Amino acid sequence: MEHCLLLPVFFPILAGVLLLLKRDFKERRSLLVYTGAVLVLGGAFAFFAVMVPADGVTLFYLTKEFPIFFELDTLGRFFSVTVTLVWVLAGFFSFEYMKHEKNEKRYYGVYLIVFGVLLGLDFAGNLITLYLFYELMTLTSLPLVLHTQSREAVMAGLRYLFFSFAGAYMALFGIYFICHFGTTLRFTAGGVIPAGALAEHKTLFLVVAFLMIMGFGVKAGMFPLHAWLPAAHPVAPGPASAALSGVIVKGGVLAVIRVVYQMIGVDFLRGTWVQTVWMTLALITVFMGSMLAFGEPALKKRLAYSTVSQLSYILFGLSVMQGEAVTGALLHVAAHAFIKVALFLCAAAIIYRTGCTRVDELRGIGRGMPVTLWCYTIVSLGLIGIPPASGFVSKWLLASGSLASGIPVFSWLGPAVLLVSALLTAGYLLPVTMKGFFPGEGYDASRFTGKEPPLIMLVPLLVFAALTVLIGLLPNALTDSLYTYAVHLLTLEV
Amino acid sequence: MEIIRNFPCLSILLAMFSAIISSALKGAGARRLNTFVVTAVGVLSACTLYFTHVTGKSYVYVMGHFPAPLGNEIRFGTLEAGMALFFCVIMLFSLNGGREKIRLEIDPGKENLYYIMVDLLLSSLLALVYTNDLFTAYVFVEINTIAACGLIMIMESGRAIEAATRYMIMSLLGSGLFLIGLCMLYDMTGHLLMSNVQESVRQIAAEGSYMIPLLVTIALMVVGLAIKSALFPFHAWLPDAYGYSTVSSAAMLSSLVSKGYIFLLIKIIYRVIGFDIFVQSRIINVLFVFGLAGMIMGSTSAIRENDIRRMISYSSVAQIGYIYMGFGLGTTAGMVASVFHILAHAATKSLLFVSGVGLTDVADDNKQFIELTGAAYRNVCAGLAFTVGALSMVGIPLFSGFISKLLFSQAAVQSNLKMLPALIVLAISTVLNTIYFMKTVIRIYTPIKSGYPSVFAKDHPLYALTLLCFVALNIVLGMCSQPIADWITQGLSVFA
Amino acid sequence: MEIGTHLLANYAEVVAVALFGIGFTNLLLQKNMIKKIIGLNIMDTAVYLFLAEKGYIEGHIAPIVMNGNVSPDTYINPVPSGLVLTGIVVSVSVTALMLSLTIRLYRRYHTLDLDEITMRLKKEGL
Repeated sequence: MEHCLLLPVFFPILAGVLLLLKRDFKERRSLLVYTGAVLVLGGAFAFFAVMVPADGVTLFYLTKEFPIFFELDTLGRFFSVTVTLVWVLAGFFSFEYMKHEKNEKRYYGVYLIVFGVLLGLDFAGNLITLYLFYELMTLTSLPLVLHTQSREAVMAGLRYLFFSFAGAYMALFGIYFICHFGTTLRFTAGGVIPAGALAEHKTLFLVVAFLMIMGFGVKAGMFPLHAWLPAAHPVAPGPASAALSGVIVKGGVLAVIRVVYQMIGVDFLRGTWVQTVWMTLALITVFMGSMLAFGEPALKKRLAYSTVSQLSYILFGLSVMQGEAVTGALLHVAAHAFIKVALFLCAAAIIYRTGCTRVDELRGIGRGMPVTLWCYTIVSLGLIGIPPASGFVSKWLLASGSLASGIPVFSWLGPAVLLVSALLTAGYLLPVTMKGFFPGEGYDASRFTGKEPPLIMLVPLLVFAALTVLIGLLPNALTDSLYTYAVHLLTLEV
Repeated sequence: MEIIRNFPCLSILLAMFSAIISSALKGAGARRLNTFVVTAVGVLSACTLYFTHVTGKSYVYVMGHFPAPLGNEIRFGTLEAGMALFFCVIMLFSLNGGREKIRLEIDPGKENLYYIMVDLLLSSLLALVYTNDLFTAYVFVEINTIAACGLIMIMESGRAIEAATRYMIMSLLGSGLFLIGLCMLYDMTGHLLMSNVQESVRQIAAEGSYMIPLLVTIALMVVGLAIKSALFPFHAWLPDAYGYSTVSSAAMLSSLVSKGYIFLLIKIIYRVIGFDIFVQSRIINVLFVFGLAGMIMGSTSAIRENDIRRMISYSSVAQIGYIYMGFGLGTTAGMVASVFHILAHAATKSLLFVSGVGLTDVADDNKQFIELTGAAYRNVCAGLAFTVGALSMVGIPLFSGFISKLLFSQAAVQSNLKMLPALIVLAISTVLNTIYFMKTVIRIYTPIKSGYPSVFAKDHPLYALTLLCFVALNIVLGMCSQPIADWITQGLSVFA
Repeated sequence: MEIGTHLLANYAEVVAVALFGIGFTNLLLQKNMIKKIIGLNIMDTAVYLFLAEKGYIEGHIAPIVMNGNVSPDTYINPVPSGLVLTGIVVSVSVTALMLSLTIRLYRRYHTLDLDEITMRLKKEGL
């Protein structure tokens, strides 16, 4: 039974490789049928693996001490459900969108491979496996960034690669030490390093923890290593940038959680300079990302800056190391994934139908694409944190957790920064809605008439908008189980 | 099974006689003979490997009729046999990968000379791997140098001859030092056979007399071999020698010739000086520091380089630094990591050279970076293979480079004093590696409209097949590293 | 003092090592190819001197059996002599190779100065 863990990881990868190797399909239709079938099947396998409790499974031994090992815990389940939902729906969205891009076969092949790799990352049961799939994620998602092969895309891809590898090696440096001192490499709440070793090499482990947070934080766009994100995400084709910005960045978050909470242990880090610096950097990123987004005229780039900012909400929640804050952070992982994918898909739909990329070109777009713009508005409200959308719940938890943490200065500075950033978020997202629905007197919005995208693009948008509202309205089931897990991660007594 | 004991000697003789016969053959005949000999030696080595692996012992083969203290001996265990097999495999792949270039770049009348040199190289490598006699080792070091020099200058361009001259000068300096060290050791111990020398060295070390001469001797031999294997700061000859020779030569020089010397050094460390005495001497700290310096300096030179071949060559300097860093750690784990890196680097570097030539081919033989823009689209399989090689060098899991980095780091954390410098330099050097290899990969995948023609795999089946084999070798080293590491550990334990 | 007597007692080895140093420096530092090769030969010869000195035993004769006398007290140690012979063969072939390289370079560039050749190659941009 445990082998059902391997299926969702390797089925999409193999299917993707097969697709890349195959000759071109005669008809576009059969390509879509193939991709769609693989996505649906892969998604079904993933859900099956998530639902069925199974033991870990060792694939093979890299060296004697380092098995490639898969295991699902609550965190992995949570992440993989998010990934699967986003990936399948965004995949269906691209069936229409990719009509106007070249090299469709390559796109879908890579898209499927990344799907499997992401699930592998979520299913990873020890540090080495996590690192393996982390690197693979960087590599396999690179073709998505490079897809248009324009000069801009290549430069962005180069930057993406440099930053990711530099980050990964900072993390690898830490992995060397954890391998040596840790009792096991399997993820264990509270850490795996014996207290004696921690006490003996305190400074060393603080540096290691810091480097690993910074290193994996690169993927999550944490200041000062965030510069690749606003360059790389917008140049990809629409659905791909949605997937990159919504899901792949979460790989960094997952790795940070694994390392901080399940390898090194929060008790060791709490109250040290590492926590202080981490919180400071996260807050700087939150604020700076929002400011940059506020000043950015191109819609996709604006959304990418918004990702920088929102990801650091999550990182801030994690850095507080308090039950509610961690719950909020975890919830925000899903909330932000659905919202940001929906936003990018809206932007993609607009580009696909009208070719407009800049915000100021979108005056009056609500007349022609009302459904798209309504979805945009709903998820925007979610991102800003207005009830009843999901963002409200997660931000509320983050703020109250921070206040309850009792860390000097940061306990109130954090919520204050989050609040300011929320205002800025409203400032950069809502003008599109307002100008879109109310272009003003004497403005001719007729060029948008009848531009509503086809159903296959609208359905994913509607689903994500619905999910955003649904999580906001009925958060309790989810937050309760996440809170239990957060308590488990923090090794607190209930 | 007893007949297998003759195989090491047989393979040396086979390689040597094929060189002699080749001088009477035309180019094509010499080529076929060479392919046959390399394959045959590979098969013989595989049999030896199997035999020694099953018995788990090492054997002594007496050459001629004189027994131990005076006669000449061959000694082989699993490590030697495995190394010989590996060298044969890499040699075969490198030759096949560069076969078309050999035909194009070498004067047809001189093709058989090239294969004579290759045969000689093979025989000297085998002798270095197998011999148990120090003076025999010296003689074959010189033969190896001459053969390598021939491989460099076979193109007969001004650059190649100049590079060969410089290579020759540095090599002669190295072998001079090795020779005088060897003579001093003979003076002190009265023996030339490695095992007998070691007994005397142990006595000297136990008595505490002659400690300074012993130290000087070890230093001379180690420095001599370090010069020959291009350890930083003795690497000045390397980029020219690798950069301006034909591709098979460059691949063999970087992955076989320098590795042969390093293997001889390992033998000297274990079998002549004794690992513990070597560790006690301060020389390992020097090796450690130079290894670290090489890791950084080689990579920074590679970053500044604008010529793809020379860039790959400078990367060799960095990788050799890794190997010496492993020696410098002074633990068995460090040694295992170094030996593994010899394999990993040989497999990767020859892959990079061979695939690199596929990329320069579709840019009119222009090695400048700017001309390589988009080359991976014009020669798809070379582009893919180069990417695999680059990823392995950079240390992506599943490829061989990652495992050697992992082994080095595991070895480093065992040593309190050397842990931090080793790990920090390892991290820095990895980042530097990433910079220049990824720069190249991005460059070759940058789309551009260019007038250069495309090349397809089906027109060059041998080349494509070779690349495939190299990639497979890399992945095997990366994924099945545990049996290989076990084999190295076991081999080293029966080595002394 | 002690070191002085040691050096005096082993003057032949001292000379050999000094010669080795001279040869080594010449091979490394000389610009002229021919001088480099001469340095190489000095270096190798120094090693042979060292070996010959090591094998020589005061008052003994060359290891050629004469009059059926096989007593080890008669002859010098033959192994170093054998090594010297082997070494000479190696150094002759290496010297020949170096000379042939020099000839090729000279024919092409009409100079024996290696650095100048390198400069010219760089200027040609080859």
